[in-house]
Amino acid sequence: MRVGAQPLAGGFGGMAAAGGEGTEGDSDGGSEELVLTPAQLIHSLEQAWLNEKFAPELLESKPEIIECVVEQLDHMEENLKRAKRGDLKVSVHRMEIERIRYVLSSYLRCRLVKIEKFFPHVLEKEKSRAEGEPSILSPEEFAFAKEYMANTETYLKNVALKHMPPNLQKVSLLKSVPKPNLDSFVFLRVLERQENILVQPEMDEQRDYTIDLEEGSQHLIRYKTIAPLVASGAVQLI
Amino acid sequence: MEPAEAEFLAEKELVTIVPNFSLDRIHLIGGDLGPFNPGLPVEVPVWLAINLKQRQKCRLIPPEWMDVEKLGEIRDQERKEDTFTLMPSPYYMELTKLLLNYASDNIPKADEIRTLVKDTWDTRIAKLRLSADSFVRQQEAHAKLDNLTLMEINTAGTFLTQALDHMYKLRTNLQPGESAHSQDF
Repeated sequence: MRVGAQPLAGGFGGMAAAGGEGTEGDSDGGSEELVLTPAQLIHSLEQAWLNEKFAPELLESKPEIIECVVEQLDHMEENLKRAKRGDLKVSVHRMEIERIRYVLSSYLRCRLVKIEKFFPHVLEKEKSRAEGEPSILSPEEFAFAKEYMANTETYLKNVALKHMPPNLQKVSLLKSVPKPNLDSFVFLRVLERQENILVQPEMDEQRDYTIDLEEGSQHLIRYKTIAPLVASGAVQLI
Repeated sequence: MEPAEAEFLAEKELVTIVPNFSLDRIHLIGGDLGPFNPGLPVEVPVWLAINLKQRQKCRLIPPEWMDVEKLGEIRDQERKEDTFTLMPSPYYMELTKLLLNYASDNIPKADEIRTLVKDTWDTRIAKLRLSADSFVRQQEAHAKLDNLTLMEINTAGTFLTQALDHMYKLRTNLQPGESAHSQDF
């Protein structure tokens, strides 16, 4: 994914900063390069942020978006450092940088909270992931999750387990840490029309029925059935 | 989602201002903002408009729906209908609050507008409460909420989804044969 070249800071004394070429992002073997404008990039960051906020489980990691956004922010910061005068422009750019930075850090923090909450399941899912499927953890997040797991195990061992009788010294973190509740309800807005989405009421007397999702409509529904739509970007959680 | 975060999203909406300074085009990461000339109206996002207004560098022009008659009509329609009316802006509540807080001198009949918007909001929230109640009572699995704005969904949303989750957990534990899942929250 590349960010389309655009003069980012054209007003700063004639320095036309070329738009960030995020070529490190497209390392997933031969996928097509999407050229996004910076505005579209920020929009997809915000979508990813909202989805991550409201989804009960950890969603796919989006390394391309994050790398490109960080690049854009660094670019803009550099330009601002070089252009000291022009107080109004500098402050406007700074305000925008702060806004984007807030969304980015809120997104990353939300992911870390979920990793800490569901760490055995996240690591298990990552281990049993098939070759072509996208990863739900970035390399740094994976290292963090493994460390967190190792630290928790050491802690439990030192504080409690080693004082237990020998046959009770094992604990299965996978069984004791709660799983994400995929049956929780979420609000969503439909971006692309979908047909025949299955709705499963809990009581056995009510039968399953299907609904169509019109573009632009908003719904309250259980997460499990629409999880693949969130991953593909056809709906947006709100 | 915090109300402040809903306001954060609402601040991206565009609003017209009349600047009293001049500046050529700014190329922000999120898009370009057109050249600023004193006395000529230009569109900027709300976060910038509020900031410029606080520095006394511009005058805000209220959006066309922020007008006593129009809001009065909307309020009456909301009271008549059982369903939710389409609001003129998906962020009407946040925009009203921001603009009336920081730029009430630029908006004619600010107090009346505030009352009208509050009345409409109260009616809509009451309707939302009723429909949430019947949703839970009839144990529905799906609801369509088309003309609701983000702020309204946000106000009722967290409580509603958590309550529904708890009810679901309690109910599925009642059904026999599910006892294997009793520790899985």
